[in-house]
Amino acid sequence: MPPPRTETILGSTTDADRITVGVADLQASRDASRTIITYALGSCIGVTLWDPILRAGGMLHFMLPEGALNATKSLENPFMFGDTGFTLLLERVLAFGARRDRLVICAAGGAEVLADEGHFRIGSRNRTLLRKVLWKHGMLLSADDTGGSHSRTLSLRLSDGATLVKSQGKERALWPS
Amino acid sequence: MAELMQLTSKRASALVAHIDGLPAMPAAAMRLLSAVGRNLDFTQIDAIVRSDEAIAARVLRIANSVIYNPRGTTVLLPEAVRRLGTRALVRIAMETEVGGLLAEGGRAYGMRRGDLSEASVGGAVAAGLIAKRVGADEGLCFAGALLRDVGKIVIDALAGPAALDALASRGEGMPFLDCEVEEFGADHSELGAALAVHWKLPTPMARLIRFHHTPPQDPIDPCCDVVHAADWVARFAGLGLGADGMLYPFDRGARERLGLTRSDLEPLVIAVLTETAAQRAATKLAFGRST
Repeated sequence: MPPPRTETILGSTTDADRITVGVADLQASRDASRTIITYALGSCIGVTLWDPILRAGGMLHFMLPEGALNATKSLENPFMFGDTGFTLLLERVLAFGARRDRLVICAAGGAEVLADEGHFRIGSRNRTLLRKVLWKHGMLLSADDTGGSHSRTLSLRLSDGATLVKSQGKERALWPS
Repeated sequence: MAELMQLTSKRASALVAHIDGLPAMPAAAMRLLSAVGRNLDFTQIDAIVRSDEAIAARVLRIANSVIYNPRGTTVLLPEAVRRLGTRALVRIAMETEVGGLLAEGGRAYGMRRGDLSEASVGGAVAAGLIAKRVGADEGLCFAGALLRDVGKIVIDALAGPAALDALASRGEGMPFLDCEVEEFGADHSELGAALAVHWKLPTPMARLIRFHHTPPQDPIDPCCDVVHAADWVARFAGLGLGADGMLYPFDRGARERLGLTRSDLEPLVIAVLTETAAQRAATKLAFGRST
């Protein structure tokens, strides 16, 4: 039986084409036939890097802003945190031969609890951290869909860098917009 | 009886009573859930493990994992039961049975197979940790959190796959429970409580299901607050996020009564994610999740 197909606004993918990124996980590939995808982004953030010449890229799904919150865990699983995870994502993509100045950078997630009253603010602290880390690396977001209280699915098609966000039953192109 | 009537609305009870094909609570789970709060002796637990193939298989897998069996010799069921001990066996058995029950759940919310059961276990792990911290009944909180979203399988029966995706956008910023009431006349916590009553689960269990998003402000014990906070810990760990996303309030009263601060919350989120990831690896996706 052929693998099931998933329809998206930019065509369809099969399970075999897809690389799934779990929570606190990182995946990178230079196989242009693949699509990297992560599901159920709530307060977590999914961030993608893509090099248009190499048609290679990667995605990080981080859960909390800073590894300093838990030094042991950030050593065990650096992908759990935005600061340690992003550095590794960048290293992985650059190791393919990608160039910093060519990278397309997208992000989605960072949702907030409804009526949080500013108490936990995990989503907004994740969003702030991402901008801080990008600034530190001299990089800027090409596009993002963050905040609100909805969950999101983020995907990156390596053949052309098409980055899609699905939320509330609708799918839209984050990049190219 | 009077409390049971208050826990379920007529509409929710009627919906549950008239849906065909709702799953039955597995017998082993019923025996375990009915015994929450009482101490089951080793013989009773042993009998439950042996009577259920899925529980026995999971017990064997865990007893043969490196944590319980570092020497790597094959452990058979009688030894596995002895090694794990009563408390771990009850947890494993409940997780297996409720996880199996919820494995296909959450389709109306756009969840993938296994998402609801994984969120159920993640919430239960969080509830156990929070209960320990505040001195609440750990067994009851664990079981209540495990079953908190059981009403979502009723919503699945009422609506098609991913039917609720568009609901959240219809009422921008509206709590998701209100969206469900608007659509079905009852939300998943009411429907879950009605299902618990239908299954004849103990009243405290139905209460925890009913109030997991809206804990009472004059609680008789901390358990509703614990399960409410546990649901949030699981959500922050990325578990159980369907169309409802984060469209629920985190109850301020519960947060204050539990004394839960940001610095308490984040280690809990890490612990839950770590525990669920370890379980997933140890059981090779026992609930059949394929990602």
